[in-house]
Amino acid sequence: MKINTIKAYMVKEFMELWRTRLIVMVYLMPLMIVLLFGYGIRMDVSHARILIIDNDQSKYSMQLVSKFEHTKYFNATISQMSEKEALHSIKQAKTDAILIIPSSFEKRLLHGQKSELGVFVDAAFPTRATTIESYIQATIFSAAGEVAAGMGLQTKGTIVLNARALFNQAMRDEDAIVPGLIGLVLLIAPAILAALLIVKEKEKGTIFNFYASPLSKGEFLLAKLLPIFLLHSVNIFILFLIAVYLFEVPFRGSFMLYWLSSELYILISLSIGMLISVITKRQIVAVVLTVVVTILPGFLYSGMLMPISSMEGESYIEAHMFPVMYYNHILYDTFLIGQGIDSSKIILYLLILLGFLLFFFTSGVLLLKKEMK
Amino acid sequence: MSGIEVKDVTVSYKKKVALKEASLNANSGEIIGFIGADGAGKSSLMHAIAGVLRFKGEITYDGHLYHSPKEAEKIKPHIGLMPQGIGLVLYDTLTVGEHLQFFADLRGLKQDDAYQKYRDRLLHMAGLSAFTDREAGKLSGGMMQKLSLICTLLHRPKLLILDEPTTGVDPLSRLELWEILDTIRKEEGSIILVSTAYMQEAAKMDRVMLFDEGEIIARGTSGELIDSIRPYVYEKVPCPENECLTFDGRTYALEALNASPAEPTLEGLFFVNALQKKKPLSKIEMVERSEAVEIPEIVMEAKGISKYFGDFVANDHVDMELKRGEILGLLGANGAGKTTFIKMLLGLYPIDEGELMLLGKPIQSGKDRRGLKSKIGYVSQHFALYKDMTVRENLLYFANMHKIPMNTALERIRRYAKELGFEEYMDELPTSLPLGVNQRFSIAAALLHEPVILFLDEPTSGVDTIARAQFWEILKKLKEKWGISILITTHYMSEAEYCDRVVLLKGGKKIADDTLANFYTSNPNAETFEDIFLTYYRSEK
Repeated sequence: MKINTIKAYMVKEFMELWRTRLIVMVYLMPLMIVLLFGYGIRMDVSHARILIIDNDQSKYSMQLVSKFEHTKYFNATISQMSEKEALHSIKQAKTDAILIIPSSFEKRLLHGQKSELGVFVDAAFPTRATTIESYIQATIFSAAGEVAAGMGLQTKGTIVLNARALFNQAMRDEDAIVPGLIGLVLLIAPAILAALLIVKEKEKGTIFNFYASPLSKGEFLLAKLLPIFLLHSVNIFILFLIAVYLFEVPFRGSFMLYWLSSELYILISLSIGMLISVITKRQIVAVVLTVVVTILPGFLYSGMLMPISSMEGESYIEAHMFPVMYYNHILYDTFLIGQGIDSSKIILYLLILLGFLLFFFTSGVLLLKKEMK
Repeated sequence: MSGIEVKDVTVSYKKKVALKEASLNANSGEIIGFIGADGAGKSSLMHAIAGVLRFKGEITYDGHLYHSPKEAEKIKPHIGLMPQGIGLVLYDTLTVGEHLQFFADLRGLKQDDAYQKYRDRLLHMAGLSAFTDREAGKLSGGMMQKLSLICTLLHRPKLLILDEPTTGVDPLSRLELWEILDTIRKEEGSIILVSTAYMQEAAKMDRVMLFDEGEIIARGTSGELIDSIRPYVYEKVPCPENECLTFDGRTYALEALNASPAEPTLEGLFFVNALQKKKPLSKIEMVERSEAVEIPEIVMEAKGISKYFGDFVANDHVDMELKRGEILGLLGANGAGKTTFIKMLLGLYPIDEGELMLLGKPIQSGKDRRGLKSKIGYVSQHFALYKDMTVRENLLYFANMHKIPMNTALERIRRYAKELGFEEYMDELPTSLPLGVNQRFSIAAALLHEPVILFLDEPTSGVDTIARAQFWEILKKLKEKWGISILITTHYMSEAEYCDRVVLLKGGKKIADDTLANFYTSNPNAETFEDIFLTYYRSEK
C-alpha cells in the first residue's frame, strides 16, 4: 500500500470536487430529495369534502353526522339535495364523497334490520378514493360501536370493525415516508458521485495517469471511493437530523445500528457506482444509468408507496433483488419500532446487505481493468 | 545495458487489426521516431509498450519480459507515457504547481532538495516558472503540452513514450520541447519513443519507423529513409495520373521519368508508399458555383480590433484585410490570439474595440450579420460534427440549418462527396473515421451554402501528410473555381508556403503582414518559412 500516493490522489479528488463545485451536489441533492418528497408526498387524506344527505333526521343519524363533523379527516356539509344533484356535484369536483342516510335508518337499526347507507366516492384518484372510502367505513363503524356500547349491547359480530381501516392515529405521513427517503437518497447520491469520479477521468483522458503508473487497482479504487464515502457519511447524520427535528419522526431504536447499517449501505451504493463506471465511457451516460438503476427500485421498493409484505408475484421477487428493501426495513425499525438486533430478521437483513456489498464490490474490482478497452 | 526489445506485437480491437507483428529494438539514450498516417498503428504500439493495452507477442524491457498489461506492472515505475491529445492527462482545475505535486506523489518521489532542484529546472525549461499558480484549464495548448511533458518527466523515466507531444504546439514551443527531450536522454540515458506529424522533427531523431496500415514498412535514420526514395523523386513535371503524384514542387513516380531528379524529403516517403501500395489518392475536383455571385474587391476589413478578457489582452488593435480570392495564413504561437480573432470575425465573441467590415458592410451588431451568415463558412479547431450521426446525416443537418432546398442539398452533398473523396464513408460515424476524412467532410459542411469567405481554424492539426496535401489541393481548387477568400490558421510552417499572404500574431498584436515572396526577399537567409517565423518571434521580444 502506498499511503502517500493514495493520500495524494484523495487530496486531488477533494480539490477537484471543491473547485468544480460538485461538492454542492453532494449535500444539496440529498437535502432536496428529502425536503421535496418529504413535504410533497401525501398518502394520508385529511379534510376530504363529504356531502351528507340525512333523510332520516333522527337521533342516530344526527349522531352519525356529528361524527363526520368532528374529525379532521372530513369537512362535512349537510344538505337536503336530491341524490342526482349530489352526484352532479361530484362530477363538478365540488365534493369528494357523498353519504346518504336513508329515511328509516334509526327505525330499522332499532329493529335489528339491515340498513343500507349510500356511499359515493370520487375515484378520479383511485388511491385517494380507497382511502376516503375506508375512512368513511371506519367512521360509520366507530359511531355504530359507540351506539351499541351506550345501549349496553354487545356488538357480537353484527358490527365488524375493519382493522385495515383504522385511523392510524400515530402513523403520520412523515413517519411513513421520511425514513424511506433516507434509503432512497443514500442509494442514489453516493452511486452517482462514484460513477462520475471514475468516468470523468475516462472521458477526459486523465485515466492514463492511473494506467501508466505503478498504482494498483485496489489503491486507485480506495483513492477514488474513500473521499465519497467520507463525504456521504456526513449525510447519514444530516439526514438523521432532518428526519428527527424537521419532520419530527420519532427515533425509537439504536443510533449505532442506524449509523453502521447506513455506512454499509453507502458502501453498497459506491460499489454500484463503480460497476456502472466500468461499463460507461461518458459522464452523462453514467449519470443517467445510475439514476435509472437506483432511483426506480429505490422508490418502488422502499416500502413508502406500498408495503413489501403486501406485494405479490414478480414485484415481491423484484423487491428482494434490490438492497433497498433490506436497508429500509432496518431504517423503519430504528425509527419507528426499535426492535434492533434483538430481531433475528434484522440480523439476517444485515447479513444480506453485507452479501450485496461483497458481490457488487468484487465484481466491480474484477471487471475494472487497468488497461484501455 | 537497458534496452527494449519488441517482438511480433499484434494489437486488435474487436475484429480490426490495428497493429500487425511489429518488432523493434532500442538502446538507452536513443530517440526513436514513429511516423505514419492516422490509424497506422503508432499509438497502438506505444500503448502496448507502456502496458496499458492488451496485445499479442512479447516485449522485453531491461530484462523484464511481458506479454500483457498485468505483467507490465513491474516496469511501470520506469515508464513515462504521454498519450495523444492536448492536455489529455491534465486536470483542468488543478494549478501547474499542484500537478507537479500530484505527479510526484503518484510516483512516490522523495521530495528532497535534489527533487526540488530538478522540479524547478523542468519548470524553467518549460517556461512555466511564472505560472505555477495558474490552473491547467487556463493555459494555452502549447503550455499544456509542455506541462504534460514535464509531469511525465518528473520521475525520470528510463522509458519515455510520447504520442504526438507536439501536435497543435507552435514552432517555438516545439523547439523548447525538443531541447528538454535532448537533455533528458543525455542525462538520464532514457529510451525515448516519440511519434510526430512534423517531418522536420522526425529528421532530428536517431531512427525513424514508418507505419502504414498496422505495419512498420520502413525503418532507419532519416538520411537512410530519404535515400531509399531518392530514385522516385523528380522536379515537378506533368505526368499521367495513377502512375505518379505531384505535390509541393515534386513529382513522385515509380517508373523512371524523363525529368531531373529532386532532393527528396521525409514527406516523400508517404507519397512513394502510396504509389507502391497502389492506393491512388482520391481525385480532387471542384466545379463552379451553382449560383454566380458578385464579390467585392475586399471581402473583410478589420481596423484596430481588440479583445480583452479581464486584464488579459487577447487581441490588441489588429488591422487585417482579406481580398477576393486570396488565401491568408494567420500564424502565431499558442495563445497569440488567432482563434479569438476568428471568433470575433464570426461574431462568436463580441468585438471590444475597433471596426469590422464584411463584404463591404460595416458590422456593429448581430443584426448586421444576419444576411451575411449565408456568405461565410467556418471550420473550427475541433470540427463541430455530431458524433452520433453518420456523415450523410451530418451534412443533411447542416444543409437544413442553412435552409437549402432538399433537392439542391442532396445534389451538392453527392457532388462534394465525390469531389472531395469521401463517398465511401457516407454512412459511417465520424468517430470511426480518420481525422483526414473528418476534416474533408467538415469542409464540405462549411461549403454547402456556397460561401464567399471561409474561415478555417487549425484544420490540419493532427492530420497526416497525404491528407494535408489533399486538403490544400481542395483549398487551391476552391480559390480558382469559386474565387473564394480563405483565412486559415496553422502550426505547420510548411503550409504557410501555400498561402498568398501571411499575418504573424504575437501576444495579441500583429507583428508582420506581407506576401510570401516579400517575406523571403526581406529574409534572404531563410530557407523555410519556419526560419522566418522564428526570426520574427525571437527578434521582437
